[in-house]
Amino acid sequence: MLKNKKLIMGLGALWSLSLLLAPSWSYAAPLIDDDKESTDSEEEEEEETWVYLAGGDVYTGTGAFLRGAGILCHDDKIEAIGFDIVVPEDAEVLNIEGYSVYPGLIALSSRGLFGGNGDLEYSVDPFSDNMLLAVAGGITVAVQGTEIGRLNRGRIEDVVVGKQQFTSLSYSLSNPGGRKTLREKFDAAETYLRAYRTWEGAVRSNKELKEPKKTGVDSHALAVLRGTEKGVFRADIQQDLLAIARLAQRYGFRPVIQGCREGWLVAAELGRAGATAIVEARDRRNKSENLVRPGGSSIENAAILHRHGVQVAVAPGSGGISMGGIVGRDIMHMPVEAAFAVRGGLAEDVAIASMTVVPARLLGLEHRLGTIEVGKDADLIITDGDILHYKTFVQWSVIGGRVVYDKEAELYLAHIRPRPVEELAPEVPVVPGERDEEIIEAPKEETETPVENPEEAPAEEPAPVDDGGEEPPPAPEEPPVVPPVDPPVDPPQEGSGDG
Amino acid sequence: MLSLTVPLTPRTRSISARIGRLMILTTLLMAAAPALAAPPGDLLAIRARHLMTGSGETLEHVVLLVENGKIITIGEDLPIERGIPVLELADDQWVVPGLVNCYTRYGMSASGYSDLRPNMKAVDELSPRTRASVSGMLGYGVTTAGLYPAGRGIPGQAAVVSTVSGSLSEMVMRDAAYLKAIVGNTSTGKRYLRDGFKEADSWLAKEAKNREKYDKDKEKADKEKDKDKKKEMLAKLGDYKPLAPSEKGQAFLDMRDHKISLLASIGKSADYLHFLDALGDEDVKWDLRLPLSSECDIYHVKDKIAESGARIIVEPMITLQRATLRQRNLPAELHRAGAKLVLVPRRDSAMKDWFRDVGVMVGAGLDRDAALRAMTLEPAGLLGVADQVGSLEVGKEANLIVLSGDPFEAATEIVAVMARGKIAHGEDEL
Repeated sequence: MLKNKKLIMGLGALWSLSLLLAPSWSYAAPLIDDDKESTDSEEEEEEETWVYLAGGDVYTGTGAFLRGAGILCHDDKIEAIGFDIVVPEDAEVLNIEGYSVYPGLIALSSRGLFGGNGDLEYSVDPFSDNMLLAVAGGITVAVQGTEIGRLNRGRIEDVVVGKQQFTSLSYSLSNPGGRKTLREKFDAAETYLRAYRTWEGAVRSNKELKEPKKTGVDSHALAVLRGTEKGVFRADIQQDLLAIARLAQRYGFRPVIQGCREGWLVAAELGRAGATAIVEARDRRNKSENLVRPGGSSIENAAILHRHGVQVAVAPGSGGISMGGIVGRDIMHMPVEAAFAVRGGLAEDVAIASMTVVPARLLGLEHRLGTIEVGKDADLIITDGDILHYKTFVQWSVIGGRVVYDKEAELYLAHIRPRPVEELAPEVPVVPGERDEEIIEAPKEETETPVENPEEAPAEEPAPVDDGGEEPPPAPEEPPVVPPVDPPVDPPQEGSGDG
Repeated sequence: MLSLTVPLTPRTRSISARIGRLMILTTLLMAAAPALAAPPGDLLAIRARHLMTGSGETLEHVVLLVENGKIITIGEDLPIERGIPVLELADDQWVVPGLVNCYTRYGMSASGYSDLRPNMKAVDELSPRTRASVSGMLGYGVTTAGLYPAGRGIPGQAAVVSTVSGSLSEMVMRDAAYLKAIVGNTSTGKRYLRDGFKEADSWLAKEAKNREKYDKDKEKADKEKDKDKKKEMLAKLGDYKPLAPSEKGQAFLDMRDHKISLLASIGKSADYLHFLDALGDEDVKWDLRLPLSSECDIYHVKDKIAESGARIIVEPMITLQRATLRQRNLPAELHRAGAKLVLVPRRDSAMKDWFRDVGVMVGAGLDRDAALRAMTLEPAGLLGVADQVGSLEVGKEANLIVLSGDPFEAATEIVAVMARGKIAHGEDEL
């Protein structure tokens, strides 16, 4: 309790400080999440977990980039972000000075990342290699089938985050009959909606009016028009895209277009329709040889779409993980996929948004995922550089408020550009038994100041002697098995010099 | 060499004036006293150079006294009263307890159902023919066996039998020891388990309702003023008859009453978590069965398993680490983590190589005493018969194996097997 009080005071201090600092701090206001509160009230007897990420360069995804800031996670939520955070004593502290923190990536489609088939709740294998590799690729939340799951490594609780509310629609030139049917469905739904709204207004004064009947109205078309489901089209050809844009404008919904390879040719129209494009930036589509006008895929696709107001989300090139795909073309490479779009002119912050907040919005979970904000889910990735750089690795992942991935500790990628040695825990020196006494007799005092700053410490300085003085090994109770024939009365420097 | 020698001079160094020893000596004399009058028919002493008790001790120069198939004394350097027949073992021979194979279908058909059938019992499969083949395990040193029900899902309850051939009642030690359940990261395995407990709950609810109705009727009858009518009504009601036990729920009720335990068969770490999830807050005794596969990843949860206090049945098998193909000794890792290890033969057909396979694991770092315990006392505990068999201790059945050498040396062979005090196998070898 006392600890919490301290924390609240700390947060208060932080809050007042932040008000002084910059107006952009307004995002520190906690977001309210009602449905989460209700599940918490079940009172599981689990202990609170606190994780503190100290000194990282935080890319919040909301326009701020905080150098050397701290992030405090409480259970599965972000409790505080800033520079003067009071950290509870029992918090697990991860020093990430020099590393960057990004919001966790969201894979809009995936296969087998959860290590099983069927309902996530029943089939998740939180120890599977696929999950490990997906987390190593920076993914924290993925869609499998229609379920949205969190890559909660090592735990089967709290895996399911929600359900994907997508309705698959087709509106293609090659299928005029299908187009007609879809239009009719939307017509019926529109008529019903108009009647319903009229009734909704009139029923307040006249309670005897009957609710209009839903018979013959396609529930999905209705849900799309009401906005409770998202109409998703799989389309690439510009004519199809154009038709979808006009359909959406005619009936007033915001289409989601998967593929959208020729979208750059009709970007203005798509932008007016308020479309979201799920693109695979590295995908190729050849120009139709029958047409003179431009066509085919373009590396500038994402950039042009975004310039015209189309929201861009990046989908992994392939949904699954294959062992051959560690360095190949698979889900590991969402950032690389986005980097292709950057190469084609997309702004970098938009490219990051295309893997984080835009998918979150598509899934209807932008109040919990997609950016680093107080009150949002603690799904963070810590990288050794710019996430869009091909060399960058995810070094740690915090998912659901727990550190679930450490590149150095896992099998697959630890050997590729390992973290610098001084970042590792100091090795316990193995001092041969005979030399123990010498060191105990003459501990070297002058070099004993503990290394405050690892960067200042000479990298190749041998550790054993330092540690021997700092923490003398326990004096052996028994005499050595083979006592030194003639214990040398060495000056202390010599004894420690050959450590 | 089964020699009925009468040692005239007890080993002098045995009288080392230790109080504990003296007490054993007195009990020995008291036990032997009636044998002097009558021919010592049931009394037999065994003198062995090396003996492993199965409970974690290795003794030297041991004397073991057997009466009526039970061990009545065991100790180092004890004198033997004259008149008691003595089985003198050679210096290089070892004595270990009779093995307990708690998970076998030796000599029984492997086909079974794949759904929720907790009412099935393996004991019902014991025909004279299968009884004879079960006794075939004696030759491999197995004196107690847990026969599991075949099938997937929740196929039924396992029986505990002594492998000494005899009548059904002589052989069967417990007709229901554990309920087997196969739980994986699929919906079916978890659902069966939950369904079973639900079944038990619904039966309990029905039973409570039935009881309530009876009580109400009884009350009504008691209030009746007309004596004849009252008598008639009471006679009609009779004593309370509980409902017929629920076919599928009964096993789950028995588990809650700790009459039987639950054996969850899992394949990997994830299954363990799913099993705990499916079990919820149910208070049942449970153990684990893990068929080791080459890329088994149970090491993720070994500490949790150790903490839970459950036993875990595995085969003596070196597994490979996925991706690096590094060899792992999972049984040794589990033991080191503190889990209660139970070892079973790699296959029923590989029972003859059981000692050798475990010897490989011992060579690869598994603790010796833990290895033997995992073949004797732990499985006996899992089967709920640890008070009768599983180790060489006073009061337990005299089930033991004479080995030609160290149990975990590759060249060691079984010389003879004693079950319930009788040499059941290899009499000519002694």
